Amino acid sequence: MLVRDAFKTATRSLTHGKMRSILTMLGIVIGIASVIILMSIGQSAQNLILGQVQSVGSNLIIIAPGAPSGSGFSPPASSQGIVITSLKQRDADSLAREPSIYAVASLVSGQAEVVQGNTNKTVSYQGVSAEMFSVRNLALSKGYPFTKGDIDSANHVAVIGPDLATKLFGTYIDPLNKTIRLKNISFRVVGVLSKGGTGMGGVDQGNIVIIPITVAQKQLLGVNHFSTILVEADPNYDINFVKSRITFLLRQNHDISDPTKDDFIIMTQADLLSIVGSITSILTLFLAAIASISLIVGGIGIMNIMLVSVTERTREIGLRKAVGATDSDILQQFLIESVLLTFAGGVIGIVFGATIVSVIYIVLTTFFSSVGWTFSFPLSAVILGLAVSGVAGIAFGIYPARQAGRKNPIDALRYE
Amino acid sequence: MIEVHDLQKEYVEEETPTRALCGVTLSIKKGEFVSIMGPSGSGKSTLLQILSFLDRPTRGSYTFQGKSIDEMADQELAHVRNKDMGFVFQSFNLLSRLTVYDNVEIPLLYSDILPVKRRTLVEEAVRSVGLADKLHTEAGKLSGGQKQRVAIARALVTEPNVIFADEPTGNLDSASGLQIMEILESLHDRGRTVILVTHETQTAEFANRIIRMKDGMVESDTTIVANRIRVNLK
Repeated sequence: MLVRDAFKTATRSLTHGKMRSILTMLGIVIGIASVIILMSIGQSAQNLILGQVQSVGSNLIIIAPGAPSGSGFSPPASSQGIVITSLKQRDADSLAREPSIYAVASLVSGQAEVVQGNTNKTVSYQGVSAEMFSVRNLALSKGYPFTKGDIDSANHVAVIGPDLATKLFGTYIDPLNKTIRLKNISFRVVGVLSKGGTGMGGVDQGNIVIIPITVAQKQLLGVNHFSTILVEADPNYDINFVKSRITFLLRQNHDISDPTKDDFIIMTQADLLSIVGSITSILTLFLAAIASISLIVGGIGIMNIMLVSVTERTREIGLRKAVGATDSDILQQFLIESVLLTFAGGVIGIVFGATIVSVIYIVLTTFFSSVGWTFSFPLSAVILGLAVSGVAGIAFGIYPARQAGRKNPIDALRYE
Repeated sequence: MIEVHDLQKEYVEEETPTRALCGVTLSIKKGEFVSIMGPSGSGKSTLLQILSFLDRPTRGSYTFQGKSIDEMADQELAHVRNKDMGFVFQSFNLLSRLTVYDNVEIPLLYSDILPVKRRTLVEEAVRSVGLADKLHTEAGKLSGGQKQRVAIARALVTEPNVIFADEPTGNLDSASGLQIMEILESLHDRGRTVILVTHETQTAEFANRIIRMKDGMVESDTTIVANRIRVNLK
């Protein structure tokens, strides 16, 4: 039998029972749409996170306390709740003297309740050195960043996030030079950050309070170490060279001769991109794997309906075999029907999934514009969707098709 | 054309073997019109199914056009059924959702005839049974007689050497039955071998040879020389 004729015959059978075909396809449509939606959201989230990592600049180097793992990078100890006090002011000072380093900014962080009048909110605060504003390209919509003089004098000044400013002062009151209280210490607001973006360590920048590092260390946290040091490498130097210089200086400061005993982790933007990229890829695949469960359910539905169809059309099979169809002709016909069903389901699923993703994008960009969500509809998801639907047609259609092909013509003709 | 020797067929139902054919030996020459008659359970339909390759014998030999059925794989049997045999069933076995054209075309889908030639063959076959005006009518909307004529057109479309008809008038009124038998008779006149199973004497008498069966064996094998005259007199 010509493939063209087999397709014609299969199409005719499917269009004969339109409602049944549509309902049978539904499982595959939902399955493929789920895969498309989750892969697209996963990809968009990955793009968003990677974009934020890239926004910190390719010449930025992050130094965190803790021992590096044997292969690749593990999360910094501080992110696991372990306090490691290996990074000190002495380290920042020696790094600042290094010619291949353009700027050094240090940071400590914590959480506390911020109070203004009768309004309060639990927020993340960061104690930073004055260089942090330039190193992180932190733009202000109002006021000025605090200065080195404020750091040295441990002045109670603060730069706050735009959402927090609105929350504490409302839309119409200018927060500049107003007072807020953090752990019962009063701070004068000297600046408000611009909208958008996520701060170091995934902190929501819209609700952050940034204060001088000296105040945070001595008066809020009672520590003399840093949780992170950010280094802006001189663009005239190779980033890996700068990294090696930092390693050398820190080992010297910490009296470390055995590299396996390092008590600091150095990460460049490339390292971060690699870590974030692999984490989000695994997450996307995990989501797609969950969605594929619905595909399996849809496929079993297809198999069920195909088995019913084979039984219902037993006499037709008998007739076709009587007039010359071979086992493989019958198998081919039913297999094509199954693949056409799943493939059509796959195409509809992709269109449906793309529509849902577009709606999600519109909702996110309309109501959560500060997130900076970008629309991503990966071609790989489309190809995967089509391939999976085709394979599902074969996988779930082969058994019913074989059953049909193996029927004895005379038994099939006698079937009532 | 057809040679069978000591043909036997056993069915096992609920562990009890039933002998449907008990040593049938006969030969049918090219161009013969043979009726196989007998009461229910005599084995006439089983014999037709084996002769038409729809079933295989349990024992015995069967040679079709000089080749033993034992030498043929299922695929080859299917090919011979498509090329050399036409089938007319009592219950028509048409696909009611398809048009007359599509039903008649079915055997051609499994042949090596090119799609461009198929249309001519289908139209010719449908015209030869007098249903040219029903070519694009759904089979389910036809009368019983018309359906059986479509079934004959489907049997003819590959221009087979032998036509097997199993009770072709069984579901028809006498007028429609007569029309069907006249068509089969005209096919025989044009040189085709027709093998018919029936339990109706009047239908059987269209043939020029009547094989009577009883209890899975050939009871009598009679050649009727003057049947044409008798039919015309009817």
